Amino acid sequence: MPQRIIKWIDQRFPLTSFVKHELTGYPTPRNLSYWWNFGFLAGFVLMLQVATGIFLAMHYKADVALSFDSIQHIMRDVNYGWLLRYMHATGASAFFFVIYIHMARTLYYGSYRAPRELLWWTGQGLLLLLMATAFMGYLLPWGQMSFWGATVITNLFRATPFIGDMVVIWLRGDYTVGDATLTRFFALHYLFPFLIIGAVIVHLVALHTVKSSNPSGINLADKDNIPFHPYFTTKDLYGLGLFLILYSVFVFFLPDTLIEAANNIPANPMQTPNHIVPEWYFLPFYAILRSVPNMVGGVVAMGLSVLIFAFMPYLDRSRIPGGAHYRPMFRVLFYAFAVDMAVLGYIGYVPPTGSSIVMGQVATLIYFTLFLLLPFLSRFEDKWLIKRGLPPELEALIASEEQEKNKRSKR
Amino acid sequence: MKKAISIMAACCFVIPALASETRLEIVHTGIDAQTVTRGVDAMMADCHSCHSMKYIKYRDLITLGANKLKVDEWRGDQPLDAPLMAQMSAVDAEQAFGKAPPDLSLMTKARTGGANYVYSYLLGYYTTPDGKAANHFYPGTRMPDILGMSQATGDAQRTDIKTRARDIVSFLNWASDPHEQERHKLGYYVIAYLLVLTALLYLVKKQVWAKLK
Repeated sequence: MPQRIIKWIDQRFPLTSFVKHELTGYPTPRNLSYWWNFGFLAGFVLMLQVATGIFLAMHYKADVALSFDSIQHIMRDVNYGWLLRYMHATGASAFFFVIYIHMARTLYYGSYRAPRELLWWTGQGLLLLLMATAFMGYLLPWGQMSFWGATVITNLFRATPFIGDMVVIWLRGDYTVGDATLTRFFALHYLFPFLIIGAVIVHLVALHTVKSSNPSGINLADKDNIPFHPYFTTKDLYGLGLFLILYSVFVFFLPDTLIEAANNIPANPMQTPNHIVPEWYFLPFYAILRSVPNMVGGVVAMGLSVLIFAFMPYLDRSRIPGGAHYRPMFRVLFYAFAVDMAVLGYIGYVPPTGSSIVMGQVATLIYFTLFLLLPFLSRFEDKWLIKRGLPPELEALIASEEQEKNKRSKR
Repeated sequence: MKKAISIMAACCFVIPALASETRLEIVHTGIDAQTVTRGVDAMMADCHSCHSMKYIKYRDLITLGANKLKVDEWRGDQPLDAPLMAQMSAVDAEQAFGKAPPDLSLMTKARTGGANYVYSYLLGYYTTPDGKAANHFYPGTRMPDILGMSQATGDAQRTDIKTRARDIVSFLNWASDPHEQERHKLGYYVIAYLLVLTALLYLVKKQVWAKLK
C-alpha cells in the first residue's frame, strides 16, 4: 500500500528522486570535522525562534503603553510564558553564537573560495537579515536599552547623503522612536524570519550545487564522499544534543546574564541611561562605529566592517587550496582576526574613556589592515610554500583532484 | 579556532566583573517560605508607603504564605487581585522626594549587581560629618535611611538590620522572578533528559560510522 502511494506521488511530484538526490545519496566529504555541524544548528535555532516567536506574539502587545506590561504578563501569568520568552531571548544569542562559529569555520578553512562564492554571499545576506531581525526584536520589550539602542541606531541613518533627516523620520515613522516605530518593528520582526527562511533555501540550493567544502580545501575523490544520510544526520543530531545542553543551561539557570539590567526598566524618553550598550553580538561593530570621530565616517566604517567579508573570495589570492589547514601564514592572520574581534567586543562594552578610545582605534585599524593584507600575504605565502615543497599528503590530494577532473571531462 | 573561542568565552566572564565600580556586599537570598514572608512583612512596613509593586497582586502574597488576616488588613477594601500600589500617590511622592520612587517589582533585576546591589544599597547609609545621611552605593539618593543603618549603635542592632535587609531582598528577588524555583526544577529534568539522549545519539552515530571502512 505505501509503495503504491509513493508511486502515485512520484508520477506527479519528484519525491523519491528528491530524497535520494538531496539526502540519502547526497555526497558529503567523509573528513568533515565537528565544525561543520553549525550550519545545521543555525537552521535548527531558526526554527526554534520562529516557533517560540509565534506563541509569544499571541500574548505580546505592540503599543508603547502596553508592551512592557505585556512582557511581564507573559513572564508571570501565561502558562510557561517565562519558558517561551527565555527560550526566545536566549535563542537570539544562540543564533549569533552558532552563526559566528559557522562563519569562523568558513574563514578558517577557506570555504568561501571558488566555486563557493555565491554560497558565501547568500550567507552574507543571511547575516544582514539576521542582524536586522535581532535589532528590531530588541525594541519590542520597550525597556530603557531597547528604546535608547533603537534611538542611537536609527539616528545613524542621518549619515545618508542629502536625505538623511528624512530617512530617519521615515524609518521611525515619527520624529522620535515612539509608538509608530514599535508597531512597525513588530510587524517587520514577524516578517523577516520568513524572508530568512527563503534565503536559507537559496543558500541550500547553492550548497547542494557546489557541495560542502572540507578541512583539506580540495574536493575529495568520489570514494571519499559518503551519503549525507545516515552518516551526517546522526552526526548532526549528536551535535544538536550537545548544543541543546549548553542552551538549556542558559535558558533554565542563567537566562538573565544575556539581558542588560537597564532593560528591566520601562523605556523613558526623558532619561538617557548612563551607558548605552548593544547586545554582545553587535559589540565589535559598535566599537568600530565609535572609533571613528566623525559620524558619517563611523557609519561607513561599521557598514564596511560587516560587508568586507563579501570580498574574501577576491582578497584571498593563494594558489594553495583551502584555508588555514595547509597555510601557516593565513592561520596566523585568522587568529589575529579572532583576537582583534574579542578586543573590539570588549571596547564596545566599556564606556569610552581616553585609553579605551585609542585601543578601539588601533583595533579598528588592525581589523581593516588584516583584510587588506590578505591579497599580498596570500601571494607571498604560496610562493614561499611552493619553494619549500608542499607536504606530500597535499600533493597527493591535488593530484587526485586533477585525476577526478580528467575522468569527468573524458566522460 | 579553539583558542579563539576560549578567548572570547573568557572575555564574556571578565567583562561583567570589570564593570562594577564599588565593591558590593554579597547576599545569599533565602527562598524558604519563612524568610520570604518575613520579607513581605518588612516590605509592607518599610517600603510600601512610597513604593509600588504593580506586577504583584495581594493574592500572590497569600499564595506565597503570608498571613491572610494581615493581607486583608493591607488591602483594605481593594480586591484580592488588585496590584500592590504605593500608599502615597506618585504626585505626592514627587513633591516630597523630588522624583517618584521606582516600582519594586523588578528591582533586583533592574540594577547591575542585582540582589547584591539592592542589599548593599539598603545597608550603605552612613552619616556625613555635617550630620546628614548619605549612601555609598548611590550618592545622590533621595530615599531616607529607612532601615536606620547610619544611626545604628552596636553590633546586635546592625545584625538585626542586616537580617531585615536580607528578608526584604529575598522577597524582592522572588517578586522579580516568581517562577525561578519552578524553572530550576524543570531545568534539572530537561538537562538530565538531554544528557541521556545525547549519550544515546553518540552511540548511534558511532555505530553508523563504524560501517565505514
